[in-house]
Amino acid sequence: MSDRVAEASAVVGSRAVASGRAGATERVRAALPLVGLYAASVTVALALCALLVSSTGGSATRVFGALLDGSVRSPGAWGLTVTTAVPLLIVAVGTIVATKAGLVNIGQEGQLLLGAGAAAYVATRLHGPGAVVLTVSFAAAVAVGALWAGVAAVMKYTRAVPEVMSTLLLVFVAANLTNFGLTRKWLLLSRARVVNNTNSGQPLPAAARLPKIHVFGNTISWGVVLALALAGIAAVVVNRTVVGFRLRMLGLNARTARRAGVSAVTYGGAALAVSGGMAGLAGGVWLTSGIAGDRFTAGISSNLGWQGLLVALLARDQPATAVPMAFVFAALRTGSGFLSATGVERRIADVVQAMLVLALLVPPAVRAVQRRRAPKEVPA
Amino acid sequence: MVDTSGAGGRPPAPSVRLDGITKRYGAVVACDGVDLELRPGRIHGVLGENGAGKSTLMKILIGLVQPDEGSIAVGGQVVRIGDPTAAGQLGIAMVHQHYSLVDTLTVWENVVLGDRAGFDRAHARSRAADIGERYGLQVDPDAVVGDLTAGQRQRVEIIKCLRREPTIIVFDEPTSVLTPAESEQLFGVLRRVVSEEGRTVALVSHKLDEILHATDEITIMRGGRVVERLATADATAARLAQDMVGRPVSLRSEAAALGLVGELADDAASVEQADAHERAAAEQPVALRVEGAVVMGPHGRRLLDGLSLEVRPGEILGLAGVEGNGQRALVDALSGLLPLAAGTVDVAGARVATERPGAFHDAGVGIIPEDRHDSGCVLDMSVAENLVLAHPSLVAARGLVQRARLLDHARRLMAEFEIQAASPDAPMRSLSGGNQQRVVLARELSADPIVLVAAQPTRGLDVGAIEYMAAQLRRAAAAGVAVLLVSTELEEILSLAHRICVIFDGRIVGELARHEATPERLGLLLGGVAA
Repeated sequence: MSDRVAEASAVVGSRAVASGRAGATERVRAALPLVGLYAASVTVALALCALLVSSTGGSATRVFGALLDGSVRSPGAWGLTVTTAVPLLIVAVGTIVATKAGLVNIGQEGQLLLGAGAAAYVATRLHGPGAVVLTVSFAAAVAVGALWAGVAAVMKYTRAVPEVMSTLLLVFVAANLTNFGLTRKWLLLSRARVVNNTNSGQPLPAAARLPKIHVFGNTISWGVVLALALAGIAAVVVNRTVVGFRLRMLGLNARTARRAGVSAVTYGGAALAVSGGMAGLAGGVWLTSGIAGDRFTAGISSNLGWQGLLVALLARDQPATAVPMAFVFAALRTGSGFLSATGVERRIADVVQAMLVLALLVPPAVRAVQRRRAPKEVPA
Repeated sequence: MVDTSGAGGRPPAPSVRLDGITKRYGAVVACDGVDLELRPGRIHGVLGENGAGKSTLMKILIGLVQPDEGSIAVGGQVVRIGDPTAAGQLGIAMVHQHYSLVDTLTVWENVVLGDRAGFDRAHARSRAADIGERYGLQVDPDAVVGDLTAGQRQRVEIIKCLRREPTIIVFDEPTSVLTPAESEQLFGVLRRVVSEEGRTVALVSHKLDEILHATDEITIMRGGRVVERLATADATAARLAQDMVGRPVSLRSEAAALGLVGELADDAASVEQADAHERAAAEQPVALRVEGAVVMGPHGRRLLDGLSLEVRPGEILGLAGVEGNGQRALVDALSGLLPLAAGTVDVAGARVATERPGAFHDAGVGIIPEDRHDSGCVLDMSVAENLVLAHPSLVAARGLVQRARLLDHARRLMAEFEIQAASPDAPMRSLSGGNQQRVVLARELSADPIVLVAAQPTRGLDVGAIEYMAAQLRRAAAAGVAVLLVSTELEEILSLAHRICVIFDGRIVGELARHEATPERLGLLLGGVAA
């Protein structure tokens, strides 16, 4: 047994020496297969989509054209895509913090929904200058999102309930809570006379909308500045600070971390709360960016939480990589909006979108499998 | 081929013949054209340091690893051994270093485990008991394996193996979990299965004593190659040691690394030195005091059962014991990884808040854990980061880790402790076991500990690395650190410790001054017989 370990580490050791010598070129060469994998898997997905669309009587070129038009090509499209990327990026940044601490928060959808609800509650009641209303709304969104993830943290550290389960199940509780809120005027329900059957929230006052930036005929929400700043801060905190160092230690080896004085309750609990808070904030930013309408509705989260989680996964827990990934996911969302105009059946359009998301998930999965197999060649 | 039959006339035909076996893992050749013949009625010793390739070779024989080149012939027929089942059909069985027993099942259930055909309970029970009787391996067939000692578990493992009537049996480092008396008994069993039943036995070991004592012929491996074959009758410890290590070695100074208890027990000069050291240390105030420590395990078992010990500055206290008697729990408790159900720990007179993460580190307790991957380092962080795990503030300013200072700190320690790594940024995972151990040692010693706990610090290291570790522990003690050396290797304890405590079943059952520590007395204590 010990022989095997010694042999294995000798092998790995000699490899590391080799890679150290080669340096940067080696790193570029190591990245190349991943780029190739992305190209291959997206190509395959596009081919399959084309086949599917044309076999159901649609036109593949029109479908792909619509995807491009909706996401970047048509006037004003990329502004919409960037604005859509904002909540995805904020959710992803929070997710990365939790993942670095070795925690799997998959309840962003619910945290985001409650965050949006909290922001709506404050924004429709507080009167004052826009900056104040927005700040307080966002603070409420962060607090409620953090609180919701905090429930999972408390269950984990007092009763050893796995956070994977609790965060996921709390999504459904959150959905029902906001649905309830939409039946009560003292909570979220519109105080105007309800004109249709669907319960909708009170419209936000103009002061509670995020200001817009206008560039080249595109309208972008100011949220983009906030999201990029958060990604930058997260990158520095996680990779450069003592707190981030201890957080990573906790995520990579909890026992070593405990001996080194890192309290799992403090650091892990904080990381979960931060990731929940970020998801909540994403809800607040999304609500006030105006794209999803002028008020809180039950469907406002519309998978942003799940997709933000995927963005974090694809970015392999690097906040900087999450920025382009969030844009790609946002492009798929906005692009699909145009699919229905091509006359392709709704369900086929959904399949096309899902295929492209899958295509993005395949390369990291392949890499993970390769990495797991490598130590089998060299027993470790 | 060298005639390995010794004085015994014409050798019997080999029952197994390995021919030109080569196995590569990436760039490293674990086995390089190895030839090996095992003969019926003989105990064949396979001797080599950690990493010499002996375990890989045996795994190839048992079908766990497939060779890249070479052939295996059993009874003159070339065979392909695809998996351990195929090996079993050819009559090849192995008693592993780590047992393949199910803790929650009884002894007889474990013995029949893996049988495909139906079995009759009464028959299976009596069969297990019979085999035990026949070989003097008494175990209650109805006992639950989880309740047995390590030595008893090995008996179960052997019974399980013998029940299938194998013709060829491989023992992989079988004595690492046994008391000296149990080892003696095991060798008796081996002798019996070869001389009375004509079976073939291979004994894999890195301990010279064992190989000299229990085998008929010896193959020595080094760096994946066979470097020597000889009859045990022609072997001397000095010759085996030189062949195994590849350079002339001093049996006396490296006895611990080579596994020579005899050399150590009666080395009068070093015993006197240790005792003198101990008299000096006794004047000092206690650095580490553990008082009535109780640690509960799963199923309400007491892993530590009121353990008390004291270590003074400048002394090395050797905590001897057969594996599984609470050593792991003690070290985990001193790392703050297991809560104390009762008892206290004081370091330099101050009570340690055992519940708080990092409390032991802050109190000045450095730990070289038994399993460094478990609690000694973070494999996916860099060498430089691993060198500052507990005190990143050392290389930080205003909460930001200063990369230049981090690297400076790492380079300094890498030079001082001769850590071989591609760069300070190399991932810890890429280092060899010996170098990982040096990183842990460097970090713990650089924090100026009051107490240093070293748990099985040389396990899995080669002779050179073992010597290095021993020198570092001596140096730490000389610098006034209180060293608690936890080891299952008597050789290590005898060569390093100034005073010896024996742990059995979670308690200290005896304390010996170095001059009182004869292998016989230690042997009794290790088996739980109070001195």
